[in-house]
Amino acid sequence: MPFYRSIRQRRSQKKLSYFFDLQLTSMLDIFIVVLIFLLKIYAVSTNSFSTVNGIKLPYSFSLDTPPDTLQVIITPEGLTFENNRIIDFIQTASEAGSSNSVYTFKTSDLDEGGRRIVALYDALLKAKEKSELLRLKSKARDEKGKPLPFEGFLAIQADKSVRYDIIRKIMYTAATADFKTFRFLALKHEE
Amino acid sequence: MFKRPSSRKRKPRHQIFLNLVPIIDTMVVLIGFLLFTMAFLVLVSMDSPFPTINPQDIAKKLLEKPLQLTVTLRESEVEIWSPFQKITPKKIPNIMPGQPDIKSIHNTLVEVKQKFPAENKIVLVPFAGTNYETIIAVMDGMRLLEKIDPVFFAKNPRNGIDEQIRFLFPEVIFGNLLGDS
Repeated sequence: MPFYRSIRQRRSQKKLSYFFDLQLTSMLDIFIVVLIFLLKIYAVSTNSFSTVNGIKLPYSFSLDTPPDTLQVIITPEGLTFENNRIIDFIQTASEAGSSNSVYTFKTSDLDEGGRRIVALYDALLKAKEKSELLRLKSKARDEKGKPLPFEGFLAIQADKSVRYDIIRKIMYTAATADFKTFRFLALKHEE
Repeated sequence: MFKRPSSRKRKPRHQIFLNLVPIIDTMVVLIGFLLFTMAFLVLVSMDSPFPTINPQDIAKKLLEKPLQLTVTLRESEVEIWSPFQKITPKKIPNIMPGQPDIKSIHNTLVEVKQKFPAENKIVLVPFAGTNYETIIAVMDGMRLLEKIDPVFFAKNPRNGIDEQIRFLFPEVIFGNLLGDS
C-alpha cells in the first residue's frame, strides 16, 4: 500500500516550529560598531566643490575650510571651469610620448603676450555678470541700501604636478576679470 | 516538622525576548544618513590676494621701507630676503632639484618672526617649473606655526592687548604674477 505509507511518512516528518525568531543581536552588534566608527571619522563639508577624474590633489596642514566659490580645476591635460572643460592642453612635438612631457597652452588660447587665457577670461566675465545680476535681484543689501559688492573669490584646484607657469596665467586671467583673491585648495593632511 | 513540599509542578519560565527590530531600523537610518552626508575628501584652503600696484602705495613704501619679506624659489635653492635690506639674505639649498627644504625655510622664517612679530605679509616668488604640490608645501611652511615653535605675542590694534599669534606669515602674496620668470 504505497499510498498510505506515503501519508504516514509525511505525518511523521518533523514540522518546523511556527515561531521562527531571527537572531538580531549579532547584527545589532555590527551596526553599533559601524555607527561608532562613522561617528568617529565623521566630517561634514559645507561646500559643494566638485572634482574631476584622475586629479591628484596635494595635502596641506591648513585648517581653513573653504566656503563655496567659483572654481577652476587644473589637471595635467586641461582646464575646467564650473564643470565645463574650457581648455585642452597640448604636448610639444619633441616631448610627446615622453614620461617627463609637459602640457601647455596652444598659442591661440592666449593673448596679452601669452599671459591671459582667452576662454577662461570669457567664462569668468560671464560668471561675474551672472553673480552681479543675482546680487542686484537679491534682497540682501549693505548699510547704504546698495546690492552687496562682488567679492571676486576664485578657488583653484590643481593636480599636484601642475606647473606654476600655468597657475600664474590662470591667476593673471582671473585678476583681469576682477577675481582678485585666489583660494588654493588641497586635501586636509590628517595629523 | 517541616511542611511537605508542594507536589504541584513548577510552571516553566517564559523567556523574554527584547524586540530589536525598531532599534535596528533606527541604526540603519542613522548609518545611511551619516554615509550620505559625510565628506570623504576634506578640502582645506589657503587664500592669496592678487598684488595691487598703486603709485601712492609705492611712494609710501619707499618712504617707510617695510620688511617685505620675500621667499624666492629656484631650481637649486631658496632665497629668503628683504628688498629693503631689513634682514640678512639667506640661501637654503634644495633637497633635490626643484624640491625645497621646507623645514629649513620654516625655521629661518621663525627667526625672522622673532625680530618682526607684527609682520604678517610674505611674498612668494616661485620659478615657472615649480609644481602645485611644492607651492602648497612652501605656503604651509610659511603660514603655519608648529607646536614646537616659540610662542609669539603681538598687540591687537583693536584693544591694545598682547595676544598670542597663531600664524607665522598668513598673508601670502605671489610676487611674480606679471613677470615671465
